Amino acid sequence: METQQAIESFRDTYAALRAEIGTVIVGHDAIVEGVLIALFAHGHVLLEGVPGLGKTLLVRTLSEVLDLSFNRIQFTPDLMPADILGTNIVMEAAGGRRQFEFQQGPVFAHLLLADEINRATPKTQSALLEAMQEHQVTAGGQLRKLAEPFFVMATQNPIDQEGTYPLPEAQLDRFFFKLLVGYPSGPELAEVLSRTTAGERPNIRKILTGQTLCELMNLVREVPVASHVQDYAVRLVLATHPKPETAAPIASQHLRFGSSPRGGQTLMLAGKVRALIEGRFNVSFDDIQAVAPSALRHRLILNFEAEAEGIATDQIITQILNDVPRDAQTVNA
Amino acid sequence: MSELQTIESALSGVARRRRWAAALRGLWIGLLTGALISLFVDGVYHLSPLPFWTRTAAALAPFPCSLAGLILGGWRRLGMAEAARWVDGREHLKERLSTALEVASQPTAGAWRDLVIADAARHAGQLDPRRIVPFGLPGKVARWALVALALGAGLGFVPEYRTQRFLQSQTDRQLIREAGRQLADLSRRTLQARQPALEPRAEKALETLSDLGDRLNKATLTRGDALKDIANVSERLKDELRDLAKDPVLNRLEQAARSSGAGDSQSAAGLQKQIDSLQKQLGAPTGNPQALEKLSKDLDKLRQAAKGLDDKNSPAGQQQRNDISKALSALSRQAQEMGLQMPHLNDAINALDANQTELFLKDLQASVTDLDKLNDMAKTLQQLQQQMDKLGKDLAEQLKNGQPEAAQKTLEKMASQLTAANLPPGTLQNIAAEVAKAVGPAGHYGSLAGLLGKAGKQLAASDKAGASRSLSDAAKELERLAQQMGDAQSIAAELQALNQVAAAIASGKEWRPGNRPGRSGLGEGGGTGGGVGTWADENAEWNGQWSDHWDNTGFDRDDQDARGHTDRGEGDLSAALKPSKVRGQFSPGNPMPSVTLRNVSIKGQSKLDYEAAAATAQSDAQSALTHEQVPRAYQGAVREYFDDLKK
Repeated sequence: METQQAIESFRDTYAALRAEIGTVIVGHDAIVEGVLIALFAHGHVLLEGVPGLGKTLLVRTLSEVLDLSFNRIQFTPDLMPADILGTNIVMEAAGGRRQFEFQQGPVFAHLLLADEINRATPKTQSALLEAMQEHQVTAGGQLRKLAEPFFVMATQNPIDQEGTYPLPEAQLDRFFFKLLVGYPSGPELAEVLSRTTAGERPNIRKILTGQTLCELMNLVREVPVASHVQDYAVRLVLATHPKPETAAPIASQHLRFGSSPRGGQTLMLAGKVRALIEGRFNVSFDDIQAVAPSALRHRLILNFEAEAEGIATDQIITQILNDVPRDAQTVNA
Repeated sequence: MSELQTIESALSGVARRRRWAAALRGLWIGLLTGALISLFVDGVYHLSPLPFWTRTAAALAPFPCSLAGLILGGWRRLGMAEAARWVDGREHLKERLSTALEVASQPTAGAWRDLVIADAARHAGQLDPRRIVPFGLPGKVARWALVALALGAGLGFVPEYRTQRFLQSQTDRQLIREAGRQLADLSRRTLQARQPALEPRAEKALETLSDLGDRLNKATLTRGDALKDIANVSERLKDELRDLAKDPVLNRLEQAARSSGAGDSQSAAGLQKQIDSLQKQLGAPTGNPQALEKLSKDLDKLRQAAKGLDDKNSPAGQQQRNDISKALSALSRQAQEMGLQMPHLNDAINALDANQTELFLKDLQASVTDLDKLNDMAKTLQQLQQQMDKLGKDLAEQLKNGQPEAAQKTLEKMASQLTAANLPPGTLQNIAAEVAKAVGPAGHYGSLAGLLGKAGKQLAASDKAGASRSLSDAAKELERLAQQMGDAQSIAAELQALNQVAAAIASGKEWRPGNRPGRSGLGEGGGTGGGVGTWADENAEWNGQWSDHWDNTGFDRDDQDARGHTDRGEGDLSAALKPSKVRGQFSPGNPMPSVTLRNVSIKGQSKLDYEAAAATAQSDAQSALTHEQVPRAYQGAVREYFDDLKK
């Protein structure tokens, strides 16, 4: 049975990836899982955390375990869109004839690390909009396709407010997941210290080729979802919309804007990946609930009242998950 | 069994048990609801006077509520998809079963369909419906239902709170209903017993009484309302009676009937039969009741004297015996001369001669008893003979004495004689003479005189057939008059009953129609007891006989005298119980003083003449005295009071 073999291959690959990444990254299991889920769902990831927690290392490690091209952009305030996308420059041909030739920017890679993305100006940040959504760039009047698969792994520091530019909502929405990288626990920190202060850095094996990754991404999309589970995802998304007829009470009170349909798509795809990771052939309510915070937290826009009270979107999502019943036709025992 | 069938089988088992569990839960919820309703209604019933049926309904409420809960709970059939979702959630199957059922209906799902179904079937095979859906008491609901039921049952033993006013009104209502029922029955029986011969007015008046009885029985009336209704109907009946009294014929009949006593109540043949029977029992006594009574008293004196006889061996005792023996012999002779057979008297003489004092006293007592019986029979015979004497001997006397039934029979006999083929010679003349003699007295009987006059003329003309028809018509006219008279008496009796009902309701006492001996008229609650204290027989009735002796038969106590009948002596009531006369302030033509009864105040002008009321009361009292319905200790006072009233 080909499908079953493909599923087993998926699980093996996932396990191998986790194991290989685990040789470099200590702890951060949820973050690693989130990144891999986004990878198999063909989504971009925004990693947010204070400096020194291993965000960049995680992405670099990922690039190493994947047999894919990798580019890194360090976002700075003076970074220009052309520095990302590329530009036409005058080149002299063999006959001495001069002509404009497009010089590809770092975006032309399978895996792009946008380090400290919020340090660039919105103009520069917006250069990624088309690439992230349509996997293409338009430069010099020409449309250029990016290589598949294409992933953007961005990092940002939430504490440096000077000289930073918050990401525009349109760009945030294009990220599949926003993962919050927290501090490691004591044993994890001890392990980090042991690994990084003694001996050499371990060699990372290439686990996954681009073609295999594409096959696995296609497999993910085939996972069946029951209608009531899909309905749950829809109701979760609708509950974030501050409209009286569908919104959860907390959303009406604290949100200015709710999740876009991309949020729903994210819930479904991430749920499918998680189901496969868990060894199931179908998506469950638990899958949807598990991925909901990462999928929705950057898509909810707080209103003034919520910001004044210091309410985080994660609190709102937790409340919505409590408020929205899993099954609309719940049969009480 | 395919994997899909495994899933469906497991789910259908769960769905079935879920339905039963829901039904059982519904039953308990219904029971709780019913118990709470019952408790609430019973509580309200204990505090405020709801109808009794509400309590019965409340007590039964848990049963239909439980049934309704069972039906409603089990009404909804759980679908397969719904059951799958429920099991997924309960058993944490991560939506395996529900997804499997959904993709099973999608043939395009391909390999994923098989994978999902196989995975779900693997989990479904481990499902145990009995574990997933256990049948048990729904904790809180069952607990509260049982508590509510226990409280309801306990409340049943708590006496209800009712105000005195309410209790009084209930008693009144019961009395009114019972009186109404009795009244309706009485008037219906009267109507069925004899159809009224008067105009429909009279019949309607009697029917009105029946309607009143029904109204009192069925409608919820206060004492005041009931008395008002009774007063209205009473007025109507009085008006009817007044109208009837205006009829001179009926008036005459009524007067004649009153003056002749019960003379017309029995026919001459019936009276003669009774007289013959009594004479046969008495033998051929020549003495009158007074002589018998004297004989009885003499014997009783001898018996008293014999009680104190001295020793038989003493000379004085022997002398006394000789005297008594002589006196007895004289009395025996006197009895024989009067034609009386008294074997006990001879036995007593023989016992005295044989010095058997005990036997002598016993025989003497038996002789006195025999003599008393003979005396009673002689009195009855005398009364019957007096009644016989009062009966008219011919048609004229019968009409004159107000004996319409006897006159009717005489006329019918004459009419039948006239139609006979072989009329004895002289009979026609005798009939003509009797009819002619009766024309005068018949003047008081309306058209009867005309009919008799016509018959007389026809007899004179030897028109036997015509005379027979006229005499038959006259008999029919008399029958009609008698029936009208009966109607008037019926209305009067109904009016009397109505007045008794009014008096009973006004005084808060039970009323029963006087058709049973010992139970007539007013009574306080149940009947007169036949015993004492808790051994009283509530249904027993006093037989109207007073005994001179106190019955100690059932006593066997050391501190008491011997058992048997003992003389209790003359009745001697305590001062508190002695009746006292209350002289009324009535005077003819003046308003009656207001009489305030318990909870009822009736004021107004009396429409009844004082003399008539007094006469009626005196008649009732005399009747009660005659029938020994008045205790012996009160008889003298009652007689004296009513004699004063009469004066």
